[in-house]
Amino acid sequence: MKRTRSIIKLGKYILITVIMIFFLFPIYWLFITAFKPSNEWFAWPPIFFPRQWTLTSFIGGGGGVYEIGSIKDALPYLRNSTVVGLITAAFSTIVSAMAAYSISRFKTGGTKLAGWIISIRLLPPISAALPLFVIFKSIKLLDTWLALILTHTLITSPLSTWILITFFNEIPKELDEAAYVDGATPLQSFFRITLPLAAPGIAAVAVLALIQSWGEFLMALVLTNSPKAQTLPIFLGRYITGWRVAWGPLAAAGLVAMLPVVVFGILMQRFLIRGLTFGAVKQ
Amino acid sequence: MRTITTKTGWGLVLPLVLLYLALTIFPFIYTIVISFFDYNLAKGGTARFIGVNNYIVIFSADRLARDSVRFSIVILLIAVPLETILGTALAFLIRGVKGEHTVRTLLLVPMMVPPVVAGIMWKMLFNFAYGPINYALSLVNVPKISWIGDWFYSQVAVVIMDIWQWTPFVFLISYAGLQGIPIDLVEAARVDGANAWDVCRYVELPMLLPLILVAFLLRLIDALKLFDIVYMTTWGGPGSATHSFSFYIYKVGISYGWDVGYAAALSILLLIVSSILVNLLIKMLNLNKQLGLETK
Amino acid sequence: MFKRMLFALLVLGLCGGLAAGQVSLRVVCSPDNADALKWIASEFMKQHPDIRVTVESISWETLYPLELADFAGQVGGFDVFTWDVMTAGAVAQGCLDLAEFRKQHPELVDPNWNPEDFIPMVRYISGYWAEKEIGAPFYNNTMLLYYRKDLFEDPAIQAQFKSMFGKELTVPTSWAEAVDVAKFFTKKYNPKSPTEYGIALMFPRTHTLFYMYLLFFGPYRRSMLAKFGPVDLDWGDYFTADHKPAFDSIEGLRALQDMQALMPYAPDPLGSDYGETIEYFARGLVAMCPQWTGPYLEFKQALGEDKVGVALMPGRSVSGNWALAINKFISVEKQKAAFLFIQFATSSYAVKGKFIRFAVAPTRQSTLNDPEALAVDPRVPVLQETYATETNRPRIPEEPKLEDLAVGYFSEMLLGTKPLTLETLHELALKWLEVLGAK
Repeated sequence: MKRTRSIIKLGKYILITVIMIFFLFPIYWLFITAFKPSNEWFAWPPIFFPRQWTLTSFIGGGGGVYEIGSIKDALPYLRNSTVVGLITAAFSTIVSAMAAYSISRFKTGGTKLAGWIISIRLLPPISAALPLFVIFKSIKLLDTWLALILTHTLITSPLSTWILITFFNEIPKELDEAAYVDGATPLQSFFRITLPLAAPGIAAVAVLALIQSWGEFLMALVLTNSPKAQTLPIFLGRYITGWRVAWGPLAAAGLVAMLPVVVFGILMQRFLIRGLTFGAVKQ
Repeated sequence: MRTITTKTGWGLVLPLVLLYLALTIFPFIYTIVISFFDYNLAKGGTARFIGVNNYIVIFSADRLARDSVRFSIVILLIAVPLETILGTALAFLIRGVKGEHTVRTLLLVPMMVPPVVAGIMWKMLFNFAYGPINYALSLVNVPKISWIGDWFYSQVAVVIMDIWQWTPFVFLISYAGLQGIPIDLVEAARVDGANAWDVCRYVELPMLLPLILVAFLLRLIDALKLFDIVYMTTWGGPGSATHSFSFYIYKVGISYGWDVGYAAALSILLLIVSSILVNLLIKMLNLNKQLGLETK
Repeated sequence: MFKRMLFALLVLGLCGGLAAGQVSLRVVCSPDNADALKWIASEFMKQHPDIRVTVESISWETLYPLELADFAGQVGGFDVFTWDVMTAGAVAQGCLDLAEFRKQHPELVDPNWNPEDFIPMVRYISGYWAEKEIGAPFYNNTMLLYYRKDLFEDPAIQAQFKSMFGKELTVPTSWAEAVDVAKFFTKKYNPKSPTEYGIALMFPRTHTLFYMYLLFFGPYRRSMLAKFGPVDLDWGDYFTADHKPAFDSIEGLRALQDMQALMPYAPDPLGSDYGETIEYFARGLVAMCPQWTGPYLEFKQALGEDKVGVALMPGRSVSGNWALAINKFISVEKQKAAFLFIQFATSSYAVKGKFIRFAVAPTRQSTLNDPEALAVDPRVPVLQETYATETNRPRIPEEPKLEDLAVGYFSEMLLGTKPLTLETLHELALKWLEVLGAK
């Protein structure tokens, strides 16, 4: 009996290890490629641990053929991604929270409104691309942060609103009412009672919005055309045709593109886990 | 009290509603209208009214559109269910394991990686001549697979990439749900003599089911929009093997010269299909309560 | 106090004036041209300190839609840009007419610029569309056959080949000849082969397949002028003289069959693109590699100059030119600065410099005839011959759509999901005619 239990346990650990390798190996490969010299990027057998560590892919130079630009080229894009990402997360969350609270507490607009908001998520970005290009061009907002912030909010808020509606639904109305009895206005009741209880949900939604905005590619591609406002995915997307795919610098750029959002996500994971319950389970 | 709350109520939703109206009404109307025109930016950009011609062409003559539908269905029927099952299973699997916190953290990382970066990673791994995956295969005497150039395996590759990226998302939702199941229920079952498997089957899974279905629905909606991965790796090939519908719209509408009218018609069709599909699923899986859509 | 304020204002005014005097140019280009343009920009700025030039490299997949969107919206978001020769018809709408501009601003014209020095065909296809001069020829790219000189000249290997095939081992001059050579160098068919595969082919479902096809169809097209008529520089080798799809013929089919015949000797032909095949040759995986002029530098560095041989493409080569153009929708002041830049970038000084430093294939005869160039890059004679015989892709505005259709069909035919028959080619031809007819 004990034997079977430990065999099962062993099997479990092996299974988990295999799964972890599957999910983490690509990231590991990206990481080491960024630090490999050019003759190690592609070799047979593949080099699983760099024999030579180099920073050329990051700082540039490389001499000879590649004329590798340094990672400093990515800085404007990093700045843009950060600004757009953070503001989108904040703005999208606030606007969604307001709407979600209203729908949950006051049943504003009934199911029709909620349904419409959620259905926006169905909109394929590809079809909105050109009309949005036309809109932003006519109000002279092409190639600006604002255009991306508004668009990303459009993309992220349906899910945020949906999650927050279910979240707010789970916070008993009795608590609000108790506050009214004590003489608080709806606004005060929101800030003192509801908001703290909803904090995990709101944090979760904000983190998700940041992740989505950071990785968004298509809209940024269409609505921006210079380092003034272009984001990191665009910086990377330049390299998709085979021309002289310098895998090292590409991997370096990829690392820079993913590190901030991954680190942030890891730091905030507790909120993600507590916040994404869709109200299915009581707090 | 009522009038105050209704006013506050509408005041609160106003920003969101205004934003949506401003940014979606025009695109929506524009897309519908322009789909009845022959409007091609590469040919000087004058729109010519052609009625339902675009739609007729899509249904009768456009084989690539039909192939795109085929691949989108492959993603829907294979990748999405697999992700859902795998993600949920993972949530159950890692509970109580030593170092659960670390494992959980690491498992969440792929969904945070921008899809464009994921494309780069996998393109290196799937490389025919030098990729680690083919190397691993060679160690067990399997001949190298052309992951990008073979009709069947390129689809497998895209499915793998999608699973890699999104299983963590389902895992997150399931895991979050599991955390919230009241301990007393579990303990009550144990007291009644249930073992771990019974608890899982009769207590946890049923409680978790609505959440799993929501995750499934979310993934379904997103899978219809699959674009980034295809763009970065297979470019729809070989042939039409991995032409997702969104990728096809991109090619028609942007990459190959802005044939806006035709792309608009394709988009409208995608929208119609998505809405029907989603509404159907919501009804079938009884997700109205879950989505906060029920009328009390 | 008042005097100080006046002085401060004066200084500010001067600074503002200086800043205003400075014009900044935004140059967007594809990665092929980026290095050369960056060097040219720095040289240019030494001579014109009042003009600031920034060069941005954007992959063509992204750059082309960007250009079209800019023109459709008349945005003028960039000042100078490169366009790929096949998109001449489509981008013409956004290009400043250079001939007109010269007439209006004769003071800016450099008398030494000498347009007659450009190779005539290149001057036309990367300069003119519908009677307008829309660009200045920048990169006269073409494809060459790279091969492992050391292996081909190795006596032991030559002896092996002779014993296996009964003829001498020579660098192939036709695709039929190439089959045996490729087979010899493929380990699967010849366990003693020094390389794993014979040839690196790129037949992916991207632009690449569209020009690779011409390498194989070109010889038929050009040797049967009685059947197909002369080649029109606007419609290219894909069309007959009366603008019908030329591949809709038995020769069109033969080209695909020739491609298929070589596929077993190439690593993953349907899944490899530009970047992959370059790696294959540079890492010594293959013995032959049809490629553009650019990768030569990488091959030299990776393998060593003595191992890299360059020969005329078996079959026919294909042209891949880039032109520099001025965005029509920018201010006149910027147009002037842009004009000076383009003029400099395509002057003989720049063309020679680009060739020597970055192996950017030259657009001017004078560079090709320059002994210095020959000393640095031994490929000059092969280039000369290639330029005289290469094929062309269409330049008409419908090109992108036609290309996508063709690539889809070819890819499927080579993959096997569509039958490799005349019927299929005819189907494609009909689709092409539809696109062209629906004007």
